[in-house]
Amino acid sequence: MSDKQEKPNKNSRREFLQNIGMAGLGSILGGSAIWAGINYDNKKTKNDRIRVLTAQNELVEVERSQVKTIAKSTQETFTYLQQRGRDGIAGKRWVMVIDLSKCRNARKCMEACQSAHHLRPEQHHINVLKMQETENTPAFYMPKPCQHCDNPPCTAVCPVDATFKRQDGIVLIDNERCIGCRFCIAACPYSARVFNWAEPLYSELDKDTVYDVEKNVPQRKGTISKCLFSADRVREGKLPYCVSACPNGVYYFGDENEDAVTNGTTKETVRFKKLLADNGGYTLMPELGTHPRVYYLPPKGKVYPFQDKDREEAAEHLG
Amino acid sequence: MLKNKLNTRLFVTFSLATLLILNCFSATWDVPADQKEKKSYIKFDKQTSSQGEVLYNANCASCHGNPGKNNILKSLNPIPPDLSGKSSQALSDGDLQYILNTGRGLMPNFKNVISAEDQWKVISYLRGFNPNYVQELSKFDPNKSKLVKLTAKFDSKANILTVMALADEKSGKIPIIKAEIAVFVKRYFGNMQIEKTVLTDNFGKAQVVFPKDLPGNKTGDLEVLVKLFDENYGEVQTTNKLAIGVPTDKPALNEKRAIWNVLAKAPIWTLSLYLLGVFAFILLLLYLLNNLRKLYNSKTI
Amino acid sequence: MLTQLKIEKITSDLLKPIRLTKSFLIWMGFLGASLLVCLFAYFLQLRDGMVVTGLGDYVSWGMYISNFVFFVATSLIGMLISAVLSLSGQKWATPLARIAEIIALAFAAVAGLVIIMDMGRPERLLNVFIHGRIQSPIVWDVTVVTIYVLVSTLFLYIPLIPDLKICSEKLEKLPPFARNLYKFLSLNWNNTIEQKKLIKDSTRVLAIFIIPIALAIHTVTSWLFANTSRAGWDSTIFGPYFVSGAFVSGCAAVIIAMYFFQKNYKLQDYITDFHFNKIGQLLALVSLVYLYFNLNEYMVPGYKMKLAEAKHLKELFSGSHALLFWSTQLLGLIIPIILLLFKKMRKSGPLLIIAAFVLIGSWFKRYIIVFPTMEHPFLPIQNVPLNFKIYTPTLVEILVTIAPMILVLIIITILSKIIPIIPIHETIEQLEELEENKK
Repeated sequence: MSDKQEKPNKNSRREFLQNIGMAGLGSILGGSAIWAGINYDNKKTKNDRIRVLTAQNELVEVERSQVKTIAKSTQETFTYLQQRGRDGIAGKRWVMVIDLSKCRNARKCMEACQSAHHLRPEQHHINVLKMQETENTPAFYMPKPCQHCDNPPCTAVCPVDATFKRQDGIVLIDNERCIGCRFCIAACPYSARVFNWAEPLYSELDKDTVYDVEKNVPQRKGTISKCLFSADRVREGKLPYCVSACPNGVYYFGDENEDAVTNGTTKETVRFKKLLADNGGYTLMPELGTHPRVYYLPPKGKVYPFQDKDREEAAEHLG
Repeated sequence: MLKNKLNTRLFVTFSLATLLILNCFSATWDVPADQKEKKSYIKFDKQTSSQGEVLYNANCASCHGNPGKNNILKSLNPIPPDLSGKSSQALSDGDLQYILNTGRGLMPNFKNVISAEDQWKVISYLRGFNPNYVQELSKFDPNKSKLVKLTAKFDSKANILTVMALADEKSGKIPIIKAEIAVFVKRYFGNMQIEKTVLTDNFGKAQVVFPKDLPGNKTGDLEVLVKLFDENYGEVQTTNKLAIGVPTDKPALNEKRAIWNVLAKAPIWTLSLYLLGVFAFILLLLYLLNNLRKLYNSKTI
Repeated sequence: MLTQLKIEKITSDLLKPIRLTKSFLIWMGFLGASLLVCLFAYFLQLRDGMVVTGLGDYVSWGMYISNFVFFVATSLIGMLISAVLSLSGQKWATPLARIAEIIALAFAAVAGLVIIMDMGRPERLLNVFIHGRIQSPIVWDVTVVTIYVLVSTLFLYIPLIPDLKICSEKLEKLPPFARNLYKFLSLNWNNTIEQKKLIKDSTRVLAIFIIPIALAIHTVTSWLFANTSRAGWDSTIFGPYFVSGAFVSGCAAVIIAMYFFQKNYKLQDYITDFHFNKIGQLLALVSLVYLYFNLNEYMVPGYKMKLAEAKHLKELFSGSHALLFWSTQLLGLIIPIILLLFKKMRKSGPLLIIAAFVLIGSWFKRYIIVFPTMEHPFLPIQNVPLNFKIYTPTLVEILVTIAPMILVLIIITILSKIIPIIPIHETIEQLEELEENKK
């Protein structure tokens, strides 16, 4: 990248920018980097404009030729992504609501998540569990992402601040710092964390990708990986991968401060507290004092019955 | 014995009735008459059909399968119909759009996911599988929506948002009557509707009661979106920034001197205990080293 | 006159083992070769990742962590014998103090390596110092283990100073550099009253301070588990439970070491049946204390049978881990306690066998504290391969686990070949005291 940078030729700028664009929008940085177009030319086609996320977290569209990049090296991009990832988004408190009455174990959430985060098939940031809590209570399907607890036991035990809580409530993992002690796995009561026991599946493909802590890609051998509430998507104003992949309207995602959550399937936005109040929302294992940011609506009036073939597996966990 | 028989009979009757009801339920949709007659103002052609196919594959195919390919998700109850089949094609264009917008049971609604125009394109794609279908176009003129003047005023005492819908016709300003008015508040991932959709009265006026506890930004500002939908004038919307929300400025979730954060925010008890322990050890080490030094220097008896 | 003769005999007896022998070389060669095999296994783990172990996303701590706990535990014995017993005036333990200290130092130093072997990214070890969060029990552990290793080194070294002087003067056939090194390390020791007082004071201060430090290392190690909410670990008595268990394994290790030093280094006059009897009693005592904590640890949750705890206990008592659990408890704790009550069993031969059972039992005890809990998290284990649900260690993992054990043996053997394994100076002092008392 840097050898191209040295060319002073103006004509090469567009080509250079396209290269940058391929490396990800994230490499074009900062509000200060954007020159508000003075001569904004409306005749130009869509391809001559580029959408850029500013440091103030606004998505703006500017002319390609007006963009001046300040991220010169991989190292600088990395530092920027780290800083952005550790800061989080001010004024937000993300919450997820999972409506168990709608889940039919379609597992589109798991697929979308694994492909977005370059995971192996046995690695689950989100796992749809077949649950049965007591003998006479019904079995149901329960998607289980990281609960993004407000009192996270995992970040408390991390010796190197590799996993941490952001101001917007997301618990992230920095696999460029993780030493692989796996204390967080031991501490997490929700079994929400996975480890890269072997060389990650796409490590060859991701060789030149700059590590983005908000996406935890590329994955690294010998480090932890976990659900990130799709921090990279949320920053762009999009719903998390799993939420928007669900075909059954199971997931709601939103901001507790706005008291609103948006359904990933119907894109309907409803009031968060009212949704919980009307449907008897609850959190998993509240007695542990972890204060999850993931809420569940009970599997009442299921539209899709629990399948007989899954009964045995669900009952395995009974006492 | 008799009781038993009666029970059996009752059971059979009951089951039959249930079956009948279920059957009806899955076969028919209770579509309002005016919806039924809705027609597309877009001409169905090859282009709309192929655009519709993309939308269909993204939103519908996971359950309904590809039309005519017999790859429906059969584990669902009721089994979703093949939309190229007879029963589905017997539905009117208006019926299909209504179903898309409302959803039922396992089928989610798509009213916020696929725009009205795109919904017609999906229907256009489906109609391609029916050789007998002849499209009837609606008489709607999309250019008429430019005439609409939509204004919103908020009465902070009564907490009511009053919307006025007028059309700038050649004959002068006339109220738009019985148009659907929906009020939304902008949220991070989408617009949240306030109350239900209301109809304008004879003066083109509609009122929506606003909740008092809606969180706004730091200063309590809310971005309010008013949408109008009318048979003749189509869809029109305006956005207003109103200071009617509850000012919200919650602290960051990692602000406290909490156990989950970096060294700088370590709890004081941990910090002091740790430093005290290390300090005590350093004192011990200094004491011992001093003793060793003395030992080294004290040669003589 | 008689005393002088005795002193010379003691000195020559205790210095005799310090020379190269054929058996020593063969033994070291064997240890070295085994270590290489084990290190190759570790190389495989570095190359291919931890997938070569039997660990998975659910049982993510297994043999390595139990090994670490075992090592930290065994190292606690230095504190018990050299500090607690000497402070409480138990003179019989004096000849055993150095053996205990060597074991303590070797196990504590290697414990640090064991934990590195469990890390997914050992090359990032420095992150613990660069980005360390003092809220994490791992950082506490790193701190106290480091401190314990340093203090143990001093605790071994300071009482050794007079002996080093003896070594530099009395050892024959010593290469000059070694003699100079002994001399340098003996810090101008001249047996003056002032020097004696300095050594005595330093040792006493060390003995006092090493007690909280040693308690800290194992308590903190127990907190690695107890600070989580998992069934089987979520316990308030884990600190004392681990510490009492530590004395059991440490005592057993000292007994085994005593036996081999007595036999191989011909120290029958110094490590006698009296000592075996005494340390046998000590082992019985600490085992009883440990049994008491075991009772608490299993009886209290077993009485309540809370869901997760019940599942855990059922697996241990009658489920898939029952065989391992009961053999560990019976062969490694209960039967040894019963046997140790008989004086006949506290002679060197039988005691060696009992201690061997206790030591192996101690290792497996840590093993069944660590992994069964991880096999039973709060939420079901689903959609993962079977080997994530049931933990089975692999050969590579076992070899990597054995490596530190070999390393400990190497360290103990080498130390016992360069310093007198029984403190010469103190033995002489005790003899002189005895003579004086006779007069």
